Amino acid sequence: MKKTVSVNIRGLNFIIEEDAYELLQDYLDRLNESLRNEKGNREIIEDVELRIAELCTFNLTNNKTVVELLDIQEIIAKLGDPSQYIESDEQETSEGREKESNETKDSGEKRLFRDADNAVIAGVCAGIASFFKIDVVIIRAIFVVLFLFGGFGFPLYIILWIIVPKTRSTIDRLRMKGRPINVDTVREEVEMAAANINKGSKRFAQQVSNDDHYSRSVRKGFRVLLTIFGSFLIFVGILMLIPFLIFLIGGFEFIPVQNESGFISFPEFGKLVLAHSSDYSLMATGALMLGFSVIIFLILWGSLLVFNIRNKWAKLTLLLLFLTGLSGGIMSAISGVRTGKDFMRGAEEAVHVASIETDELTLLPSPSGNNSLRSGLDLSLMEIGSEDIQLTGIHIKYLPSPDSLFHIHKQFSARGKSSEAARARALNISHDTEISGDTLHILSSYSFPKTDKLRDQEVELTIQIPKGGTVRLKDRIISLDGILPSEIEEKLEQEGYLRGNGKYRHD
Amino acid sequence: MNIENTQAQMRKGILEYCILSILKQREAYPSEILETLKKARLIVVEGTLYPLLTRLKNSEFLTYRWEESPSGPPRKYFTLTEKGKSFLKELDDTWAELNNAVKTITKLN
Repeated sequence: MKKTVSVNIRGLNFIIEEDAYELLQDYLDRLNESLRNEKGNREIIEDVELRIAELCTFNLTNNKTVVELLDIQEIIAKLGDPSQYIESDEQETSEGREKESNETKDSGEKRLFRDADNAVIAGVCAGIASFFKIDVVIIRAIFVVLFLFGGFGFPLYIILWIIVPKTRSTIDRLRMKGRPINVDTVREEVEMAAANINKGSKRFAQQVSNDDHYSRSVRKGFRVLLTIFGSFLIFVGILMLIPFLIFLIGGFEFIPVQNESGFISFPEFGKLVLAHSSDYSLMATGALMLGFSVIIFLILWGSLLVFNIRNKWAKLTLLLLFLTGLSGGIMSAISGVRTGKDFMRGAEEAVHVASIETDELTLLPSPSGNNSLRSGLDLSLMEIGSEDIQLTGIHIKYLPSPDSLFHIHKQFSARGKSSEAARARALNISHDTEISGDTLHILSSYSFPKTDKLRDQEVELTIQIPKGGTVRLKDRIISLDGILPSEIEEKLEQEGYLRGNGKYRHD
Repeated sequence: MNIENTQAQMRKGILEYCILSILKQREAYPSEILETLKKARLIVVEGTLYPLLTRLKNSEFLTYRWEESPSGPPRKYFTLTEKGKSFLKELDDTWAELNNAVKTITKLN
């Protein structure tokens, strides 16, 4: 008793013994495989199936209704082995062609993978090297150079690390190398991998496969470079750790201002600058995350390189640190942008102080001996009171007068997210000047409410000097906005702003 | 180099020529072509025919039509195309030349 199955070959139904069916199926499968690269192979197989159907009908009679194993064996013998379909010389060339077409087909499919087996960090370089068929050392050197000159190599590496898949299977490895995927190459690849494991170390295997002096010394040199680079990373990380810890402590007052203690803390300073009170915590958190990630990242990565550690978890940690740093940076940037918006618009408010008829105007800064009337270049100290911020340094600009009088104007300026906001801030600035006879008393500092925050508040006095008039600045020399000291003499000759001894004559 | 390989190469060269020659005389379906070729002992296994037929057809030397069979699967009747006919004509000439050449040379020996 034998089990049978019913098959349909090209529209004809046959009852066929199960083992015969299996034999036939196997034959057709093998035929299909051997004709895989033959043009019109589907049609050939169709024709063969027709012939099989025909031969089956020949064997069937009224008394014999089932196709038996023997029938199929005969048919197969008649048709010949799948390898005989294409004559032997043809077979050779067609095999050659097959390889060729496979090669080109698969190099089209050649894909970039991270070569996890030959990785130093994540196998990005090894993968690229494999992709372009270049020595990996060259790719690594390029990345190091890109990193050292402009730091471009680092983000590039991280991005590639994230987007390029790792080789997970033998097929992936073949694709990475652009080799055809067939039984032989897969076996080779697997054997190679097995050999690597047998030798106990993938690195060793890699060295053996490239076992020549040149390659070895290059690798050795590269190792030294990596160690140096790693040490450099660790060094930078530790260097960054110090300001970071100061920042972390936060309460530490290190920004110089003139209040009781002489310094304020970073958070306090932040409150004076940042647009919203919530921005400080956002920026601080962001900066904290960024600083923490960068420092740990550098130290960890450096250690991995120096000690030649390859650990999946370490690499994962690096990736996490990178992402943390990135989000920290984004958080800081958000609050930074928000604050930046508050600097978008500037406004100026000018006030006429006095018009005086005299030959010589004396400027008297007060308190005298305290800070200067300043140019645009010098830094001034802040004084932070309970309500006000006081800044020291008034700009003074000299211009020719249109008539015979000295005209004195005062201009307040500030910035804000709109012109209105900026103007309101400018009007909030208080600064005192006093005229007594031909002397102008100028307070060298000005103040504005703490709630206005630091928004580039400035005070500028414009003194228009009539023909023949002179300005005497009692005990100091005034430098001019934006003009370097070396340019002042020249400027004086050309534009007649100021005499070196503080006397001005407008001819 | 072995004898089977050489034989196969010689046979293969003329197999296409013989298929075209069979079809020049009359329309035929693969089983008939096989029968003729087998009688002439030009073919060892049937499988060899099918790739050749498909190649010749793909080269537009052959064309075919379907015909129902009284007993069995439908049949693919092949005929020569005009291109096939002129191709065959050239092969006839080449064969004649080769035949002469071979005869001349083998006689010399």
